[in-house]
Amino acid sequence: MSNFEPEIVAFCCHYCAYTAADMAGTRRISYPSNVKIIRVPCTGKVDAIHLMKALEKGADGVYVAGCLDGDCHFKNGNLRATAHVEKIKKVLEDLGWEPERVAMMYFSAGMGEQFAQGAKEFTEKIKSLGPSPASQTVGKAV
Amino acid sequence: MITAEQKPLQEIFGYIAPYEKILVVGCNECVTVCAAGGRKEVGLLSSALRLHSVKAGKKLEVLEHTLERQCDPEYVDQLKELAGQVDAIVSLACGCGIQTVAAQYAIPVFPGVNTKFMGASESQGIWAERCMGCGDCMLGVTGGICPVARCSKSLMNGPCGGNSSGKCEISEDVDCAWQLIWNRLVELGIQDRYEELVAAKDWRPAGGGGPRKIIREDLAASKIITEDMA
Amino acid sequence: MQKIKQDEKRVLVIGGGVGGIKAALDLSESRKQVLLIDSDYAIGGLMTQLDRTFPTNNCDLCTVSPHLSATTREKFLQISPMTELTSLSGEAGNFTATLNTAPRFIDIDKCTACGECLKKFPEAVRFTPGLDPRAPTCMRYPQATPYAYSIDMEKIDDVEALKAVCKAGAIVPDDSEQQIQVNVASVVLSVGAELFNPGVLDNFGGGKFDNVVPGLEYERIMSASGPFQGNLVRKSDQQRPKKVAWIQCVGSRGINRHDVSYCSSVCCMYALKEAMVTKERFGNDIETTIFFMDMRTFGKDYEPYYNRAKEDFGIRLIRCRPHSIIELPDKSLEITYAKEDLSLMEKEQFDMVVLSTGFRPSQKTIDLAGTLGIDLTEHNFAKSGTMDPVTTSKDGVYVCGVFESPKDIPETLVQASAAASMAGTAVPSGEWVEDLSLYPPQRDVEGEDTKIGVFVVDCDGEIGQSLDIDKILENAKTNPDVAVAEAFNLSCSFESMEKIEGLIKEQKLNRVVIGSGSPRIQEIMFQDMLRRAGLNPYLLELVNLRDQNAWAHNDAPAKSLEKAFQLVQSGISGVRKAKPLAENMLPTSQNALVVGGGVTGMTSALELADQGTLTYLVEKAPVLGGQALNLSQTIEGDDVAAFVKDLVNKVSAHENIKVFIDAVIAEHKGVPGKFTTGVKIGARTEQIDHGVTILATGATPNRPAMYGLGELDKVMTQLDLDAILENDESKIKAMGQLVMIQCAGSREADNPNCSRICCQAAVKNALRLLDVNPDLEIFVLYRDIRTYGFQEDYYKTARDKGVKFIRFDLEHRPVVREEAGKTIVRAHDFILGQDIEIEADCVALSTGLVANTETNKELCGLFNLPKTEDGFFLEDHVKLKPVDMALRGFFVAGTAHSPKVIRESITQAHAVAGRARTMLANKEITLGAAFATVDPVKCAVCLICVRACPYDVPFINTERHSEIDPAKCRGCGICVAECPAKAIQLRAWEDDQILAKLDGLFERV
Repeated sequence: MSNFEPEIVAFCCHYCAYTAADMAGTRRISYPSNVKIIRVPCTGKVDAIHLMKALEKGADGVYVAGCLDGDCHFKNGNLRATAHVEKIKKVLEDLGWEPERVAMMYFSAGMGEQFAQGAKEFTEKIKSLGPSPASQTVGKAV
Repeated sequence: MITAEQKPLQEIFGYIAPYEKILVVGCNECVTVCAAGGRKEVGLLSSALRLHSVKAGKKLEVLEHTLERQCDPEYVDQLKELAGQVDAIVSLACGCGIQTVAAQYAIPVFPGVNTKFMGASESQGIWAERCMGCGDCMLGVTGGICPVARCSKSLMNGPCGGNSSGKCEISEDVDCAWQLIWNRLVELGIQDRYEELVAAKDWRPAGGGGPRKIIREDLAASKIITEDMA
Repeated sequence: MQKIKQDEKRVLVIGGGVGGIKAALDLSESRKQVLLIDSDYAIGGLMTQLDRTFPTNNCDLCTVSPHLSATTREKFLQISPMTELTSLSGEAGNFTATLNTAPRFIDIDKCTACGECLKKFPEAVRFTPGLDPRAPTCMRYPQATPYAYSIDMEKIDDVEALKAVCKAGAIVPDDSEQQIQVNVASVVLSVGAELFNPGVLDNFGGGKFDNVVPGLEYERIMSASGPFQGNLVRKSDQQRPKKVAWIQCVGSRGINRHDVSYCSSVCCMYALKEAMVTKERFGNDIETTIFFMDMRTFGKDYEPYYNRAKEDFGIRLIRCRPHSIIELPDKSLEITYAKEDLSLMEKEQFDMVVLSTGFRPSQKTIDLAGTLGIDLTEHNFAKSGTMDPVTTSKDGVYVCGVFESPKDIPETLVQASAAASMAGTAVPSGEWVEDLSLYPPQRDVEGEDTKIGVFVVDCDGEIGQSLDIDKILENAKTNPDVAVAEAFNLSCSFESMEKIEGLIKEQKLNRVVIGSGSPRIQEIMFQDMLRRAGLNPYLLELVNLRDQNAWAHNDAPAKSLEKAFQLVQSGISGVRKAKPLAENMLPTSQNALVVGGGVTGMTSALELADQGTLTYLVEKAPVLGGQALNLSQTIEGDDVAAFVKDLVNKVSAHENIKVFIDAVIAEHKGVPGKFTTGVKIGARTEQIDHGVTILATGATPNRPAMYGLGELDKVMTQLDLDAILENDESKIKAMGQLVMIQCAGSREADNPNCSRICCQAAVKNALRLLDVNPDLEIFVLYRDIRTYGFQEDYYKTARDKGVKFIRFDLEHRPVVREEAGKTIVRAHDFILGQDIEIEADCVALSTGLVANTETNKELCGLFNLPKTEDGFFLEDHVKLKPVDMALRGFFVAGTAHSPKVIRESITQAHAVAGRARTMLANKEITLGAAFATVDPVKCAVCLICVRACPYDVPFINTERHSEIDPAKCRGCGICVAECPAKAIQLRAWEDDQILAKLDGLFERV
């Protein structure tokens, strides 16, 4: 499985993490193309179901990237997202899935470098975990 | 409101293990309000069941539906078509709903939640027991605080010796109901009431007399009349 | 042709470069009549010739003013290219301008811009030859495209043949020059400058050697629209150069023939940019070397750009000004230079040499100044007020951009907004009536089968460079409901927009997917395009192929393309679920809140108040004035104290300004256009309603624990020295030797940015010291002297007067110690190659400014605004929206934005006042369509949304379900995620849209 290329979905909030991702691009800081971003107005908008659905549909890993603590454009959406992610981690554990397949990250709009770093680390992590059970079934890993 | 919380997933996996196609049914009443069995929880549980089956390498199709109320046969009737397609049903309603569904369909119906108590919302995400359905409400003499539901021993005439600084001996997180009652009576200036002895409680209306039923003659009669006319 | 109403007063903007465009847009956005003229046949100016711009390294001109609707443009803005001012009579508020418009020989009403004439008569038809047409057309003026064509009649032999080529019959052979007179209330000059022509120098071979090119020509070579179609090759042999060198300050900072003494301020950054882009786009193995004297990366976040060039890109930097270039037989070039640490000369060969040339006012500009009757400086730039940086010597005539002094694009834009703001005070805002949209009625797409158009709009060729766009389109076409899939290279222009609009109408498309740059910037523009095509703007999905794909995965092209397929498929899948949505409008509060009562805040407040805006000015300290209270003089010699006193008096006496001192912002709520902020004054909190907010909270003088500051008696900051100069000249007279140490606490690992003000502060204080004590020996220990622009003259004067400048670097830091009651500075002299010791009677550290971290953090929290990593407020776009913040109605000015001198803070203060006016003049604000709605049938009345909403918007209505007021909803979607009944959806972000996007990612087409 050395050439395993995981599918990773990142839900990024418009104001911080998505801007940080743009910033990474603007500065030509490379990160793995495995990461596909879905823009949301606030990470508080990311329903726990969306995390489950992403995994169901074949994502090997999913993360939510929001603003730094205290910087949320909508006061505390990022903290709610953190709680949703935590909840799904527990569910995954119950299911016998690796809870590390979901994660929460925080970036300010200017943190392009850190965004790329986060994407890189998460991709490495998922690579080490291997394909998710669902992505294997969907038959599209590798 | 009736409160409930989701069963451990492992237990639900166990129930549905023999089946390949199931229906998860939510209820848009109490269990939605306490975030245990509404449309969202139906979606989350269904996803979890699917992910679990994938991991276990077994075939499982999960249908999702949420009824307005599961404890009314007319609403439960709406499941007819879906129920016909599946091998089993997981209901996220309270025990009442689950039984209503089970009574109407000849396939296994499993609980997805544990029905907990009749409670009230303290704040977002926190519910606390307030009523045990004793059938003979005495809130009128206890300052609006129920000793049946809120005293660990359901004592009727003041606290036991376990009251320590207003807390119940079972846990520091549990207020002594009688402390609360006393404070409330003082607040209302009617602490004399405390002196009035309450006679030993008749537990028959609380279920001691067997399963309970309410029949509203006026309503029930009109239904009979309508049916007759038809 | 433009019909100019004679009687209507307007602002005349001269010069259609980026500054003039910005000034004209600001004015028209403020509903003021404005006429923009340019002698060229298309607007755009110098910026359109640049390949990429720093520090983002991309073209983003389209972001200058996305909020200006087409309607407003039509009503208030008129453009006359090929037009020059021939005279200006009358006085401020009531000038008469005589304008001459050269013949174009094309009837622009008939011209369809088909390009046939250009094909057949390439010699005589002008279509921005050699220039990139995208920027002017980006502005999307209906007239812009035909305007770009014009004919040089003198070169046409056969007029009939030309007429025959034009199917539209637009050729007007007997077109003639036209003269009109317009009533003008004020004038904004934004005529820029030329770039120095190095051909006049005999030592660098500019214009003589094939492979020696000026910086701008190098940009043209790299540009996709340039002479080699974006291929970097040598002119002599069309081969890719392996070694490229840049020589800085060619014609600038010199005393030789043809040299000017000033610094052009932008060349260091553009050389770094060109070197980085060279490596990035044409091969990391190309060796890039920059020969420079001082690296002047003094702008906001420019120092990290410099560091990246050195550290990440491996750009070689040699501190030397080479004397000459010799061309070798193979057309390679030999540069002889001295290395600082060696006493020998080195010879090195390069394949190409780029001469970094700076700005020179053109003769035409100098003549124009004569026509206008404005004074010029000794360098032939427009003379502007030292504390009033955009005013000229003539009342009613304002100046911005490079013609005022050399500067880069963001600073030009700041000055443009400032000049527009001041010039605009002479013209009343057009009466506000609800805009009747010029857009066609929206087509009802309900019930239609989905018909999607997929368009890759490659604004600056960046996408096509690393992704195979044809394959992306091919892949998209495999979706049966994708009716059209096309690419538009090289332009996000009016032209390609028009083509897409045409396709939408022709093919009856009802959904559109655009693969382009970031939706954060481009969404508004493409939504506008849909409106023009008669589609609801929400039937659109943007796929960020540039920022988050092409740019981010340069290292893995195959995988990057795979991702592009997935992203586009995700967009297609998502757009299928898109619904037409109506937008929500809200009347705005007409009051302004200015936070910070320093020079910047007071200047902004005065300008707004003068135009009738009730302005609340909140100052934390017990007095107004801010940091300027600690400063006695500017480098130009202005009396700062008197200036501040005057400002304070004006502000305090103004009927439209309400000042709160000893006051802080305590609470804040509301929606863009309508905010309520609680100002805490002692124990009392006053609630203020305001539509715009200006952040002018300043910065803090740094006092780093370095070089003995705070420990040794004789070590102080420049501000401390300023105080001594002001109050105790006898102390200065008693001094024998004084040492200044630059970059104390700046350009260090923990504070990487340059503080910008310190070099001029050191030079200023050195000159003042010498005035008091001519015998004083002054040593300035520096890393790079950054006396940009005309500050360079003061630097030169200081050197002439004997101030000794000794360079150091971080490996050879000066050390300050006390020994036997003496303060001794030990420094390394690179030229002597050894350490020297100076006994100092005073050591002045140039400590610069750092962000007001605490205050900014608090305000960013309250107002929900972003900050930079070093704690300054982060503007919306570093290049094109330098004073707007990401949240509409919020603006930042002065040192709260980044360190700057008073003059620059004042410019920004005027600029934000102008930007604020653009919002206040439009009495309502569009809040968009993204608000949460409740499905009453699904709602379980559980109250979870009521409790979860961060703004307390949802409530349970009398119809027994939750209700959300669209005007109050901020569109975060938190309630949607929390609702246990899934009864709430956030419009434009509905769950099925998000799930469809997920589906698209994993769909195999």
